[in-house]
Amino acid sequence: MTETKEAKALNSYTKSNELFQRALKVIPTGIPGHLGPVQSQFIPTSAFPLYAEKVKDSYFWDLDGNRFIDYMCAYGPNVLGYNNDTVDQAAREQYDKGNCMALPGRKQVEFAELLVDTIEAADWAFFMKNGGDATSFARMIAHAATGRDKVITVQGGYHGVAPWTQPITHAGITEGDVANNLIVPWNDAAAVERLVKQYPGRIAAFMATPYDHRVFADNALPEEGYWQKIRKICDENGIVLIIDDVRCGFRLDLAGSAKYFGFKPDLTCYCKALANGYPISAVVGADSLKDAASKVFYTGSYWSSAAPMAAGIACINELKRLDGANLMIEKGKKLTDGLVKAAAAADLDLKVTGVPSMFYMRLTNDDSLMMQQEFTAECARRGVFFTSHHNHFINCSLTDDDISETITVAAEAFSVVARNNPGRLNK
Amino acid sequence: MADSNVLARCNLFAVLRGIEYLAEHDSECAELIKDTNLSIQFNVKDGPRGNLSFRDGKVQMKEGKHKSTILLYFTSPEHFNKMIDGSGNPIPLKGFTKIGFLTGPFMKLADKLNYYLRPEGVLLDDPEYFRINTEMTAYTAFFALAEIGNHDRKGKLSASHMPDGVLQVRVEEGIGVQLHVNKGVLSCVKGHHEDPRAILSFSSLESAHKVLNGKLDTFTGLGNGEMSMRGFIPMLDNMNPLLDMIPLYLA
Repeated sequence: MTETKEAKALNSYTKSNELFQRALKVIPTGIPGHLGPVQSQFIPTSAFPLYAEKVKDSYFWDLDGNRFIDYMCAYGPNVLGYNNDTVDQAAREQYDKGNCMALPGRKQVEFAELLVDTIEAADWAFFMKNGGDATSFARMIAHAATGRDKVITVQGGYHGVAPWTQPITHAGITEGDVANNLIVPWNDAAAVERLVKQYPGRIAAFMATPYDHRVFADNALPEEGYWQKIRKICDENGIVLIIDDVRCGFRLDLAGSAKYFGFKPDLTCYCKALANGYPISAVVGADSLKDAASKVFYTGSYWSSAAPMAAGIACINELKRLDGANLMIEKGKKLTDGLVKAAAAADLDLKVTGVPSMFYMRLTNDDSLMMQQEFTAECARRGVFFTSHHNHFINCSLTDDDISETITVAAEAFSVVARNNPGRLNK
Repeated sequence: MADSNVLARCNLFAVLRGIEYLAEHDSECAELIKDTNLSIQFNVKDGPRGNLSFRDGKVQMKEGKHKSTILLYFTSPEHFNKMIDGSGNPIPLKGFTKIGFLTGPFMKLADKLNYYLRPEGVLLDDPEYFRINTEMTAYTAFFALAEIGNHDRKGKLSASHMPDGVLQVRVEEGIGVQLHVNKGVLSCVKGHHEDPRAILSFSSLESAHKVLNGKLDTFTGLGNGEMSMRGFIPMLDNMNPLLDMIPLYLA
C-alpha cells in the first residue's frame, strides 16, 4: 500500500518561505506572473511550496525536499516528463554546436518541415518564444491579409498578456489597446453572425481556443457543429480563423486540436508542449496566408535559437512514437475516474470537465470554490500538486503508481474537506 | 480624473456616513447627540440625495429622499464637495429653527470625522485612536468603493465583471465589511456574513492600516501573509481595480 503523508508529518516550507521573503524585497510581488502566490492558485499560501529545486518525470521537489506529483506540468510545457532524456540529449548536442548565433541553424528548417508534416492545417511554420508572441503574430497576419481592424474573441478566453488580450480594467491597459476587440460567448455561432452583420467588412479574424478551458469555470467542449458553423461564417465573409492551440496543442491530437474537433483553421498558435519545456512557440498556417506572414515584421533576439528547435524536433518525434495525445487522454481518464470515486466515498461531488489530458475539476458542494481550495491545499500538504481554478495537465511519463498514489492522497484530502464541511455533503 | 458626481456620492455615503460609527465608538460624539432626534436631508442638484437621521443616540445614513427636519440644498455636486472640504456652505431650505444643531453639534461631529480620518502627529501611537482610525478608514473606503463601482465610468466596467454574491472583507478577530454584488450593482454592509462567496482577510488591524494607507501594497500583503483570500477569486480580481480607484476620490 502506498505510504502517504497522513502517517508522517505534512509538508512544511521553511526554505521556500525564507527565499520568498528575500524575493519580496527585490522582485515585484516576489514571484511575478502565473506562478506567484498572489495569483490565487495557492489558497492558503501556507499549504503550498513556492520554489522548485529539481524535477524529473512527473515530479518536482521543492527547496525543503518535499516531492510532489505534479498535475500542472509547468502549466503545460512538461508533456513527455520533466528532463526527458531524449529531448535533453538533442538540445545538449545542439548547445554544443551553437544555440544563439548570427544566423539561424539548420534545425529551424527541419523543425518547420516536421510541423508541416505533423499538423494537418500547417503549410508553413514561423517560430518565436512564448504563446503570447504567437497569438499577437497571428492577429497581425490577419490584419495584414484583410486590411481590417476588428477581431472577435470568446468571453473568458486567454490569449496571453499583450495589451490587446487583457480587459480594459486591468492595470496598464488603455481604451485604445482594446478598441478593436469584439467578444462573443462560447459556443454561440449566432453571436458571431450578428457581429459580422454589425461590422461589415471590418472583421479580420475570429480567434478562440479549441474548446472553452477558461479558469474558474467548468470547461466546455464545442457543441455539435459549432466549429463547422464558424468555419462557414469565416469563409463566407473573408475572416481569418485563428486557433489558439497554445494550451491544448499535442494533448488532444498530434495533428492539431482542430483535427480532433473536425475542422481546419487558417492559422494555429502553439507553445507549451512544443518542446517539453524548452523556450519556443510557433504559428503555423495555410498557404494562402504565407504572403501576409512574410510581410509582417516580427522578430526577437532569441527567436532563431537552435537548441529549443532541436528539442522541439525530438519532442514531437517522441510524442509520435508514444502516440502521446491518446496516451495522455487515457491516463487522464483513469486518474479522474479514480478521483470522482474517491470524492463520492467522502460524500462529495467532484465534477470533471474538459478533455481528460487537460481536465478541470471542482467540488460542486459549494459555489465559491472554497471546498475545492481546501481540497487542493490538503493534497499539496501530502505531496500532490493541483490548483483550484485552472485546468490540469497530464504528461506521458505519469505511471499507474503515480495515479494510484494520487487517488490515495486525494481520498485523505476529501475526508478532511468532508469533516470541515458537514453541512455541505451529498444528500 | 475624479467625476464630481461620484465624488459627491463618496462624500455623502462614505465620508459623512462615518458619523454613524462615531456615535457608537466615540464617547464625546455619543454625548453630543444623545438627546437629538432629527434628520438632515441633503439634496444635491444633478447629484445624490441622502438623509442622515439622529434618533435615540443612534445615527443612520440612508440614500434617497426621506422625511426630514432640516433640508440642505446644493446647487451642484461641486457645491456639495466644497462643503465637505470646508470651503462652501449649504443652502438651508427647511428647519431654520434647528440651524443651531448644524452650527453646533454637527460641526463638532464633522471636526471629529476629520480628526479620525486625517491623523496628525503622534495620534496613531495611541492604540484606541489607531483602532478607530483604521476601522473608520476601512468602512469609508469600502462604502466609497461601492459608489465608485456603481457610478464611475471605469468603475462600472469592473463592477460589471464581478460575479454575484457576497464578498466579505474582514480583519481577523475584528471588523467586517460586506460587498454585495447583484448583476454588477454593488452595495456595502457593515458586519460579517454567514456564507460569503469570497473572503479577503487582513491578519491584523495593523496590516489593514498599512494597506488602507498605502504603506503596504496588496500583492506584497498577499505574498507575506498579512492578507489572504479564498473563495470565488474573480470577485476579488474585479474588486482590485476599484480598490485602486479609492485614492482618486478619498485622497
